[in-house]
Amino acid sequence: MSKKVLVVDDDPDVRSFIVTVLEENLYIPVIAQDGVEGLEKIEKENPDLVILDVLMPRGSGIRLYHHLKTDDRFSQLPIIMFTGISLRSFLKSQKVLDEFKGAKVPEPDIYLEKPVDPEVLAEAVRKKLG
Amino acid sequence: MEIKKLLFVTKFEGLCYDALRSLLVLRKADLEHVVFLNVIERDKVAMKRGAGYLKEEEVKLKETANIRFIDWAENLFEMGMEVGAYIEVSTLIPEILKVIEKESPDLIVIGRSHKSTLEQLYSGSDVNELVRRTRIPILVFKHMAEDKIVPEKLFERLLFATNWSETVVRMVEYIKSMKNVIGEIHVIHVVKDSALKSPDAHAVQKVRKSERKRLDDLCDELEEQGIKARAHLYVGDPQKEIEKAAREYQASMIVLGSSDKAAIIERWGGSISRHMSDNSIFPCLIIPGKKET
Repeated sequence: MSKKVLVVDDDPDVRSFIVTVLEENLYIPVIAQDGVEGLEKIEKENPDLVILDVLMPRGSGIRLYHHLKTDDRFSQLPIIMFTGISLRSFLKSQKVLDEFKGAKVPEPDIYLEKPVDPEVLAEAVRKKLG
Repeated sequence: MEIKKLLFVTKFEGLCYDALRSLLVLRKADLEHVVFLNVIERDKVAMKRGAGYLKEEEVKLKETANIRFIDWAENLFEMGMEVGAYIEVSTLIPEILKVIEKESPDLIVIGRSHKSTLEQLYSGSDVNELVRRTRIPILVFKHMAEDKIVPEKLFERLLFATNWSETVVRMVEYIKSMKNVIGEIHVIHVVKDSALKSPDAHAVQKVRKSERKRLDDLCDELEEQGIKARAHLYVGDPQKEIEKAAREYQASMIVLGSSDKAAIIERWGGSISRHMSDNSIFPCLIIPGKKET
């Protein structure tokens, strides 16, 4: 059975790119346009993987990532970060949130900085989902 | 009232990261979320005879804005703040209103209007159109000198101009929410010449005494919150006197309530907040009153 991948990104061109890659690789894409909608879709759609942007309106990927990793319901949900924000900044911001919220979250397994070739994205998804 | 979320509207001309940085002191007033908005005016990419819609130009402008926002956002994320961004091809004020609807900010920061005097006469300045259409306080950011240096301590010395309208209550509440940020505040009321026309010196002194009492009461209210406050009574044309007081007390910002006059009267008759936000050399924080229903 095909696996479901939630794409959380505010840029319609990027969403379209990711959806195309996912469909070509026989995954089922579900989309959300911002962090708030992303969390709603995670709760409602129960995806097998999330591809998450960082800089978005109504809730960034920084907060959403931290929230998911500290919520027992979602802490094991695989996440691929897919963003223009540098990994260095992402890790620093997670560290600040760790201190503020008193909960340490793991680094993302896969962090892809835009732009990314379709083969690289497809390989990353396969690595997480098989 | 609290200032948790700030909407930063930029064209990358007057308002850049240095301006944003000067606002980060608001973290002491609970600021935790900054939303960037860049509106690419339609006429920059609109249909041109022989060229059609300038898609390449749109992509270039959006990517340029995106690069700037990513850079700013990284700085803010690393401070533990929440950041969002919108880059839209649209018209400025309607787009700001759309983002307000989605994000519900507590403060809007915008640069001085770039419309010409003639354009403003017919369509109003961007700032004044915004004041008419939202109840959210608006900070009209200005560089204080010719060399475009951003005032480092924007909240160090506020000039709070009051005309004792209903808006004052809201202004005071807003100022109280920034008590951890404000250095000191100078409260000014300008008595119009016409109020002092009496030939009787005693009557004139009564006006002075009564206005001064109100100012002192307001200062007491602010000092109860720990905000150092001083009262000043001026006489004359309010616009000129407020600007004069801001210079005399080296204000870092002027705080004004917006007029409750109907939009059309305001446009043609002018209001103090409109005049100051467009013409003063000082940054102006405009706090709109309740909209008439």
